[in-house]
Amino acid sequence: MTAVQLPRRRALRVPVAWRRPAAIAGSVVLLAWVLVALLDPLLGLQDPLQQSVGDAFRAPSAAHPFGTDALGRDVLSRTLWGVRSSLPLAVALVAGSLVVGSVLGAVAGYLGGAVDEVIMRIADLVFAFPTIILAMVVAAALGPSLLNAVVALLVVSWPNYARVMRSLVLGARGQEYVVAGRLLGAGPFTSLRRDVLPNVSAPMLVLAMLDFGNQILLLAGLSFLGLGAVPPTPEWGSMVADGVTQFSSWWLATFPGLAIFSVVVAFNLIGDSLRDALDPRTAGAVQGSSI
Amino acid sequence: MNHLPARLAALTATAAAVALIVSGCSAGGGSTQSSSSKTLVVDNTFDLKTSDPARAFELTGSIVDKALYETALTFEGSDVTKPVPQLTTYTMSDDNKTITLTLNGKHVFSSGNPVTIDDIVWSYKRVQGIAGNPSFLLTNLSTGKPFAIEKTSDTTMTITDTAANPALPFILPNPSLGVLDEKTLEQHGGTTDKTDSAEQYLNGTSAGSGPYELSSYNATSKVVFKLNPKYVGTKPAFGRVVLNNVTGPSQKTDVQGNQAQLALNLNSQQVSGLESGSIKVAKFTSSNLGYLWLNQNASVSGGVTNQPDFVKAVRHAIDYKSLQTIAGTGSTQPGGMVPSQFLGSLASDENNTTDSAAAKSDLQSSGYKGQTITLSYPTDATLDGVSFADMAQSVQSNLESAGVKVKLNGLPIATLLDSFRAGKLQAGLMYWGPDFPDPSDYVTFSPGEGLGLRAGWTKDMSPSVTKAKEAAIAAQGDARASAYEAWQKAANADGAFVPLLQAARYQVTNGVSGNVPNAIWTVDLATVE
Repeated sequence: MTAVQLPRRRALRVPVAWRRPAAIAGSVVLLAWVLVALLDPLLGLQDPLQQSVGDAFRAPSAAHPFGTDALGRDVLSRTLWGVRSSLPLAVALVAGSLVVGSVLGAVAGYLGGAVDEVIMRIADLVFAFPTIILAMVVAAALGPSLLNAVVALLVVSWPNYARVMRSLVLGARGQEYVVAGRLLGAGPFTSLRRDVLPNVSAPMLVLAMLDFGNQILLLAGLSFLGLGAVPPTPEWGSMVADGVTQFSSWWLATFPGLAIFSVVVAFNLIGDSLRDALDPRTAGAVQGSSI
Repeated sequence: MNHLPARLAALTATAAAVALIVSGCSAGGGSTQSSSSKTLVVDNTFDLKTSDPARAFELTGSIVDKALYETALTFEGSDVTKPVPQLTTYTMSDDNKTITLTLNGKHVFSSGNPVTIDDIVWSYKRVQGIAGNPSFLLTNLSTGKPFAIEKTSDTTMTITDTAANPALPFILPNPSLGVLDEKTLEQHGGTTDKTDSAEQYLNGTSAGSGPYELSSYNATSKVVFKLNPKYVGTKPAFGRVVLNNVTGPSQKTDVQGNQAQLALNLNSQQVSGLESGSIKVAKFTSSNLGYLWLNQNASVSGGVTNQPDFVKAVRHAIDYKSLQTIAGTGSTQPGGMVPSQFLGSLASDENNTTDSAAAKSDLQSSGYKGQTITLSYPTDATLDGVSFADMAQSVQSNLESAGVKVKLNGLPIATLLDSFRAGKLQAGLMYWGPDFPDPSDYVTFSPGEGLGLRAGWTKDMSPSVTKAKEAAIAAQGDARASAYEAWQKAANADGAFVPLLQAARYQVTNGVSGNVPNAIWTVDLATVE
């Protein structure tokens, strides 16, 4: 009788991913935004809510490097303060979607049967609608606020994670080491927690990183449509919305637009590098253990 | 030999091209042409639905119908405080219930048919019978009962309301009450009830006695007018007018490049620095009124907005000058709810002045304890291009400076109106566009009246305002202006509405003049020269 050899858990050798130039660039940009978010009050910026209607629509100058808006507020200050709305909410949103989607997907994949059917048909129902339309419906029903926008996006985002998690769990649950664990007396949830989830977490992490940019765009999109941030809160999406009706004041939409762009690109660069690093088919990837 | 036909063809093509270029250049409205061949190009952002006067009640529709149709009475230039004769003269009965119209000289439709009293009676009955958007103009707004319209002789007719209505002469100049050629229309499906099917005909061929006839019509792109040779008034300077549907930014480049001689929808930012050489900017004040309401219903007010001293504090906390700066030069703060250009308007009122010390003192005596009030505003509507979100943020900043906590609640206008009409909103910003240029259109902002009830302001709450309103409605002749002023003063002293702003509007011209802004029909194309 041969003892079943359990696999070594796939280690997340994140430092490998971080050594890639794209990941470094993305991390630097993201770190800069995090520092800005933390240090906003110390940067000596003008009050982002301070109105001075006599200075409305001033073009970029030494006094206002990003110009001023319709109420004479400093666009630089509002853009830098805007990261405090966008970044934490995007993190909360992705984390929420990851947790909800992963739990439901894992349960569906591992238990199968009626539970799987119910969860996956609900996911199909959500997938049947275009993401932004369904998010708009939910956000409109809840009323405009950033928190409600996060809830609305959570409702439409979890099925992505659930589907991927379900397929990973379906693949893993038949593996010999999982079967062996069950034969040694592990219950379904212990087996799921100890043997399955640790071995499928890497692809979920990559998915989450790649989803950050998308979620930031969706959050900004809802605010752009008036379903997210409530004035006078500085938020990039609503700042772009204010700017698009003022063609001659190009700076109103440009700078918050560039801020959204930089964060989305940063997350995508990091996500891509992580995927490459964790994909066993890519050169330089973390080597998975074989049985 | 083979080259000859090719050369001939080349020469012919060159000659044709030169002819085309010359004719193209001359189509730009050059002053050397005779008036009948000159073309005026006007840029407007269309809200056009139809050119049938009995169905049109949009800004572009009024521009179109003003050019095509004459009305019983009209206004001279920008002055909407005094109706003057056009097709008819008028007299009011002593009880202000009946207006008698008497044919004024000879007017002729473009078909050659003379304008008769029958045409006027038929046109008005058609407006009532079709029950289109403008039908309310000939209806008692309180009871919903249509005015009685009767021919009394071959040259006279009467319009009678069930109650005293001194506004009757101010209603009749509306282009929606343009007089149509009954004989022509009846041949094309025109009736005075809902079976009317003449709209399609009227969107292709006009049937009026106005300065222009319809040459071509497209509700989404352009309307072209040609001279009406039968028009008995002063012949317009331009034989052809093209009214184009163009957005604001493109209007600016059109008028700068002389592709259009008149642009009607540029905002304050777009006209800034535009005036130079032959380009002139005419500023005027819109008759649309932006106002703030504070709900007086105890169960909606949160025990805050229904406190008289709190209302006073809000009136004094608002920085009206800032709102005017946001709205651009030419905007104004009306003294009361009646717009500045109408009879009975109030120039200013001490209750609606910025005074931060008075605001703080009033707030203290109101018993305000730091509750947050919710200020609603429409997110998808503007006050003549001025964003309600910007106005709301300005008011929020003003009130917070005085010590009032404000939460903004932006809503789509349809949602906002539903809640506002149900009287469920604590406070908010809205606008009112005039149905007709008479102060009687504004008594709805009184306790117990339509708009008053939306703000939870019932009849028993402010007896002084109700008394002043009743006196204003009953006033006649010259006494009307002072009576409406007194009503507005009473409402400012003890009322739920704060008049905030009339925004500026602009008409930009390149090489033409004579465009006189008007609150009802925007511009009379026939006076441009």
